[in-house]
Amino acid sequence: MKYSVRQLACGILCGALGWVNVATAEQTACSDADTEALQWLSRMAKSHSEVAYQGVVTLQRGDDMQVVQVARSLAGGVSSEHLTRLTGQGAQVIRANHPLDCTHPGEGLLTLGNHLNEADNCGLARHYQFQVSPGERIAGRQSMQVEIRPRDMYRYGFLLELDSETALMLRVSTLGRGDKILERFQFADLNYGEPLQPRADIDTVHPAAHPHPDYPSNAPQLSVPWAVSWVPGGFTVTDKASPASARRTYTDGLAVFSVFLEQLPQELKPGEGLARLGSSLSYTRGMRLAGKPVLVTVIGEVPVNTARMVADSIRVLHQSAP
Amino acid sequence: MTEQLRESLSALMDDQASDLEMRRLLGEFEGDPALRQTWVRYQIARSAMAGQPVTHVRFDISQRVSAAIAAEAPTARTTLRERWMRPLASLAVAASVTAVVVLGGQQLYKAGTLDAQNAPAIASGVSAVGFVNSLGAVPMRASYGAQAMPQLEPAARTAYRELARQRMYQYMQEHAEHAALNSPQGLIPFARVPQIEE
Repeated sequence: MKYSVRQLACGILCGALGWVNVATAEQTACSDADTEALQWLSRMAKSHSEVAYQGVVTLQRGDDMQVVQVARSLAGGVSSEHLTRLTGQGAQVIRANHPLDCTHPGEGLLTLGNHLNEADNCGLARHYQFQVSPGERIAGRQSMQVEIRPRDMYRYGFLLELDSETALMLRVSTLGRGDKILERFQFADLNYGEPLQPRADIDTVHPAAHPHPDYPSNAPQLSVPWAVSWVPGGFTVTDKASPASARRTYTDGLAVFSVFLEQLPQELKPGEGLARLGSSLSYTRGMRLAGKPVLVTVIGEVPVNTARMVADSIRVLHQSAP
Repeated sequence: MTEQLRESLSALMDDQASDLEMRRLLGEFEGDPALRQTWVRYQIARSAMAGQPVTHVRFDISQRVSAAIAAEAPTARTTLRERWMRPLASLAVAASVTAVVVLGGQQLYKAGTLDAQNAPAIASGVSAVGFVNSLGAVPMRASYGAQAMPQLEPAARTAYRELARQRMYQYMQEHAEHAALNSPQGLIPFARVPQIEE
């Protein structure tokens, strides 16, 4: 019941959410290489609603490797997905009954490739350079390789290897400075078609959230409305968070980062700290906002410099008198 | 060591300890070698779980820092409205406690492979911000942002690094909820979450 209500609302409103502000993009001519790559990215984004599959994916970060089973089924205009950990914690994440026509801002940015001629802009090619070439066999499938290099220092590069028939992402490597591989997801095994039942012996089942403007979260609200006044070009908010909500999330279609603000009940020595895991970063900053001590944390798959500049740009919003 | 103390210590490790518990633990750390040893074991276990090498564990709790923390005005009793902020209050003190424990001794763990960007700075013993590495803390890359960062005491640096690590655990799942809908990898961002909660 809960899902059917959400499904309906999503069908109506996600379209609006998925609308990305392209009017501000500069008018640039797309190179042929960029156009070809953007069309691949668009196909990749749409493969989510076109192919059902089941497979085993490895996540490699430094010396650490995790293995997860993933599956997606498509039926009656909705998709159902699950991710099951096969190593470490016995946990599963499920997303059931997600309408196929529900697109979020990240996918909207990737599918701009469809409208290159109409909008006369290159979408992601403003911020990344692309190169498409034939790739190797991955999980028994022939791949196409899309090299993605950032045009600025605010994001990482990627090497995407897509199934040459279905455009499903078979391998994604996140590349740091000097093309150092920070993190790599890769299908080890892949079968197309409706998936089988997920495995048993799972302790934790987490239904993935579906953030939505019409479903106010029960997350803590701060007493100070705040705003992030700078994000790197091409990043857009993923959901309509209220000005007093503790979290904001931004995406450029490929990379995602979230900003969390906590009001502190007592002074904390101003400063900053950093923790990394693969391509993920946690950057914390103790600072004052409207004369009160706060802790800002940026979590995401972006370089530390981006996180620091985003934290620098946080401002208090002055509410208009009632 | 009493069972209650052991529980407080465990709560501290899990960032669940109240201010009162932490202040008491700080006092206990001074005069109780067994308690210090337990703390060391917990830290080693956690470092090992995080895949970080454990080196030179030695303690010399600084009277000065301990006194400074003890001198902080006691936190007023929280109102209902402020109750959700409580964990942070504890965390701020927890970070201080970590700083106290680390100061004066070798740091519990060195930078793992994931700190690779910082590795050259450690190897050469010179960091971008001129931090003296003799205390074993990991240097932080200098700010390229718009605001200059204050130079921190080594203990505060370590505390902030600990805060960043704790926040990664605390927020990664919420971040993954949004990354899963807005990056091309589907549910795979959840594979990055250290411990998936229901």
